[in-house]
Amino acid sequence: MEKVTAIVIGGGATGVGILRDLAMRGVDAMLIEQRDLAHGTSSRYHGLLHSGARYAVKDAEAGRECIEENTILRRIGRHCVEATEGFFVRTVEDPEDFEAKWVEGCKNCGISAVQISVEEALRLEPNLSPKIKAVYRVPDAAIDGFRMVWQNVASARRYGAKVRTYTEVVRINSTNGQVTGVTVRDYFTGQEYQIACDFVISAVGSWAGELAAKAGLQVGVQPDKGTLIAFNHRIASRVINRLHQASDGDIFVPHGSITILGTTSMAADKADDTEPSVEEVKKLLNIGRVLFENIDDYRILRAFTGTRPLYSADPNAKGRGASRGFVTLDHAHDGLKGFISIVGGKFTTYRLMAEKAVDMVCEYLGNKTPCRTAEEDIVEDPSEALMGRAKKFFPVHGASLAASRLGAEGLSRVVDKLEKQPSSRQLVCECENVTLAEVEEAAADPTSFTLSDVRRKTRMGMGTCQGAFCTYRTVGTMVANDLTNGQDSKELLKDFIEARWKGIRHVLWGNAIRETELTRGIYEGTLNVNGAMKK
Amino acid sequence: MKKSDVVVIGGGLSGLFAAAVAAQNGKKVTVLSYGAGSLTIGGGIVDIMGYADGNVPFATPIEGVKNAPEGHPYTFIGEDTVKEAVEAFKKMASAEGYAYQGSLDEMQWIPTAVGTLKPTALVPRTMDVAKMEAAKKLVVVDLAGLKDFSAPMAAKNLGLLFPNKTIETVKVPELEKSGRDMTAFDTARLLDRADIRTMFAAALKSKAGKDVCFIVPPILGTHASYVAFDDITKQVGAPLVECAAVAPSVTGIRLRELMLSILRKQGVVFIEKANVCGNIVENGKVVAVTTKDFGRQRTYRADEFVLASGGFYGAGITADQENVKEVVFDLPIVAPARVEDWTNAKMFSDAKQPFAMIGIAVNEQLQPVDAEGAVIYPNVRVVGRNLAGYDFCFEKSGNGVALTSAYKAASLIVKGGKA
Ligand SMILES: Cc1cc2nc3c(=O)[nH]c(=O)nc-3n(C[C@H](O)[C@H](O)[C@H](O)COP(=O)(O)OP(=O)(O)OC[C@H]3O[C@@H](n4cnc5c(N)ncnc54)[C@H](O)[C@@H]3O)c2cc1C
Ligand SMILES: Cc1cc2nc3c(=O)[nH]c(=O)nc-3n(C[C@H](O)[C@H](O)[C@H](O)COP(=O)(O)OP(=O)(O)OC[C@H]3O[C@@H](n4cnc5c(N)ncnc54)[C@H](O)[C@@H]3O)c2cc1C
Repeated sequence: MEKVTAIVIGGGATGVGILRDLAMRGVDAMLIEQRDLAHGTSSRYHGLLHSGARYAVKDAEAGRECIEENTILRRIGRHCVEATEGFFVRTVEDPEDFEAKWVEGCKNCGISAVQISVEEALRLEPNLSPKIKAVYRVPDAAIDGFRMVWQNVASARRYGAKVRTYTEVVRINSTNGQVTGVTVRDYFTGQEYQIACDFVISAVGSWAGELAAKAGLQVGVQPDKGTLIAFNHRIASRVINRLHQASDGDIFVPHGSITILGTTSMAADKADDTEPSVEEVKKLLNIGRVLFENIDDYRILRAFTGTRPLYSADPNAKGRGASRGFVTLDHAHDGLKGFISIVGGKFTTYRLMAEKAVDMVCEYLGNKTPCRTAEEDIVEDPSEALMGRAKKFFPVHGASLAASRLGAEGLSRVVDKLEKQPSSRQLVCECENVTLAEVEEAAADPTSFTLSDVRRKTRMGMGTCQGAFCTYRTVGTMVANDLTNGQDSKELLKDFIEARWKGIRHVLWGNAIRETELTRGIYEGTLNVNGAMKK
Repeated sequence: MKKSDVVVIGGGLSGLFAAAVAAQNGKKVTVLSYGAGSLTIGGGIVDIMGYADGNVPFATPIEGVKNAPEGHPYTFIGEDTVKEAVEAFKKMASAEGYAYQGSLDEMQWIPTAVGTLKPTALVPRTMDVAKMEAAKKLVVVDLAGLKDFSAPMAAKNLGLLFPNKTIETVKVPELEKSGRDMTAFDTARLLDRADIRTMFAAALKSKAGKDVCFIVPPILGTHASYVAFDDITKQVGAPLVECAAVAPSVTGIRLRELMLSILRKQGVVFIEKANVCGNIVENGKVVAVTTKDFGRQRTYRADEFVLASGGFYGAGITADQENVKEVVFDLPIVAPARVEDWTNAKMFSDAKQPFAMIGIAVNEQLQPVDAEGAVIYPNVRVVGRNLAGYDFCFEKSGNGVALTSAYKAASLIVKGGKA
């Protein structure tokens, strides 16, 4: 039987952060994820690298954690971060007396919040409602969740860590109250097998309760559903928050050429209850209209939903570090040694959460190697020479986008291919400028099994055409280059479009409905990918 | 502005065909069109009715028409009119030298760029599926630099459908060093040239032989003529069959050229970039529609109006968060009340999508009616994708409903309103 020292369950931000930290401290580790990396909340979230200002009044400790981690991630994770800064805007609807409390709170937490005049704010962000009352600048930023996850994994691999995707942990195995390993199931074959280990670290976010139950334990995590809307415009160049008691639908985060508005909040039955509703979308738009009066003029690309892992410490769990944004639970206290759960928290604090969890494991191992994840860059910068070569194939801005997508090593392989094989320069996705070379690079990665995996790595099909054109092109490319893993190409075409459909069907008005007629006209009307064939 | 007998709003297939039929019968027609509609992205092949509910293929197009479900446009267009419309279209096309083949009595299962087959009714000669069916070997043409056609994928899937045929691909070098990816339209434009056709044919020749049929993307010339197709076929010495492919649709571009040529000969006034946005009503009848371009308003008067504005894709019908609207006459739209009920959870659900059936309710005269069935404007007829009650993608009925409803509207106008 295969054996490693530590198994990390969950390929979201927290899990990959733990994997990287373990590997950097020399612990032999493997990460297991039931689907693709970032299958969970880490790709269904707002993408705000919090400055902490949002928590400054209500939860100063969370505020302080955020600003510290924000400062660290801007440095070590700069390839995934867009340092946009943020505005806190008091509108006509926000009570005035909160402002002073908030300014004081930021000061307490060490978060810089500098007031600027409304005129200046409107000059910087001309789409903001002219009725706004007061504006402050804070060090918020935008962060690309999928890329961050992927780059952490690439870094961990360089330190010898292993990763297994499309593998679900179905049981935690133990003898005499000591973890001995896990039983996993292969998503594609359905086959079950065991992997031995001394430690299991559960970093499964909203699934924490479900997973703990597989070891016969209880962890009080309540999945809480939040819906977001992606607009096909950069409505603002900065993160825009409402200056009031944190609430629904009050943040806009720009990501490249799009903007994400969110979020709602309601209890969910299950961690993978990620279906948005028309009602939530309309609610968000109504709230968003206070900051941007012309919000209805912007085209909606999609709506999507994630579940927050809200931790509610049960009375028995008291004294084990409750009341924090996140908790690390050592289940030795529940009678199972070698099993640790980390729950709650935010994307912004994933590195800190990982550090705490790994400290706990290393304590048991007697491993004294200090944590270095706050010091070392997650990916290296590409050399100037490499960027020079890349610029021959990518449009001006495209080269740096590709560099941040691929990291230095990936970019170097892709540029090599582009130089040597002219046919690999073919554009597979025009909206997002993705070449065949990059698709092949992503498809060759050991964590890529399906077309959607490749899509997430390259961002192809995520642009304006919503996959109407590039779906065919991409699947064709996959077939031509033997990258389909034996899957039926008609199913791949359908899967790709269904993934987009999930985000579009709840915003089916304006241009979205027109585009849907086009996409359907092509794939169902013309190409008949799903019609029964003649007998 | 002079008055016409008929003003047609929309330059997609239904608008152009309605104009052609009315003009051929002596009417003075003006077509106002904002864009080319779905003709140049998906047209060119006339589906009539391919599937019944439950994803069950009909044996013949006419069986589909006869069994159209309640509320379907075919139920009030009527079987006889469908037959007349198909004949009229075929006659027009052959008179122009670009004949369509196929009939209501035989389903044409044409190959697609995915390597599936799709049931349709009328096709240009470049899609003669009998040739494909008769062949023992299918050779899919893999043209370098052509971006929206994957020969390996088409070949692989055709292989699954035809286990008794040999399936191969043939690589054809770039037809012109362009340094950029070519669309099917770019390529078809090259094949309008005799020298390029010779080059192309030479590349296929090595694979030609007895019982061979080439499957090609729709690239055999941009014009509504068979000159390029016949020339290449002769030089290759084996049949070629074009398949249905991703937009831009070369076959649709040819069909548009065909229709526009007919309209020119009939003296139809064709006004492009005309965005119709208003109407003038007197005594319960529409007397004119108005356009607004560059801030200038124009008025087009007529006795009869055909609304061929293409539903959601054509933009004759628009939807925002709260309302669905017909943009020219503000006609009532038949749609499920809540957006939640517009869609199936899966896009490919093997069932009709409620949003695809959204459209304008009409009576048997194709006049728009309100919820009680009362006629709103007696001299307006609604045609094509604007009509409620059918899902062209699921059924494979798009251009069929477009042609036959257009024919019916034009015939009613010609006969003075009586069917
Ligand atoms: C709508 C919304 C917006 C948010 N916005 C922000 C924001 O702007 N900024 C911010 O800092 N935070 C934000 N958050 C919070 C943040 O997204 C999450 O806290 C964070 O992504 C959680 O990461 P994670 O790795 O703990 O969990 P996840 O990303 O959910 O990862 C858990 C993984 O475990 C896997 N898994 C589960 N069970 C098993 C099993 N049995 N075997 C194998 N694998 C398993 C899942 O597939 C999943 O991939 C937001 C949350 C939501 C819901
Ligand atoms: C991608 C795709 C592939 C398809 N493939 C096939 C196929 O293979 N076979 C088949 O039979 N059917 C197919 N169809 C369906 C078929 O194309 C349509 O159902 C049919 O052609 C509709 O014709 P129409 O004239 O009603 O609308 P359209 O072709 O959409 O034309 C509408 C016209 O109205 C104009 N217009 C709209 N509003 C105004 C205004 N206010 N003022 C002026 N002009 C206006 C538009 O610009 C356009 O010219 C496909 C459709 C799509 C989208």
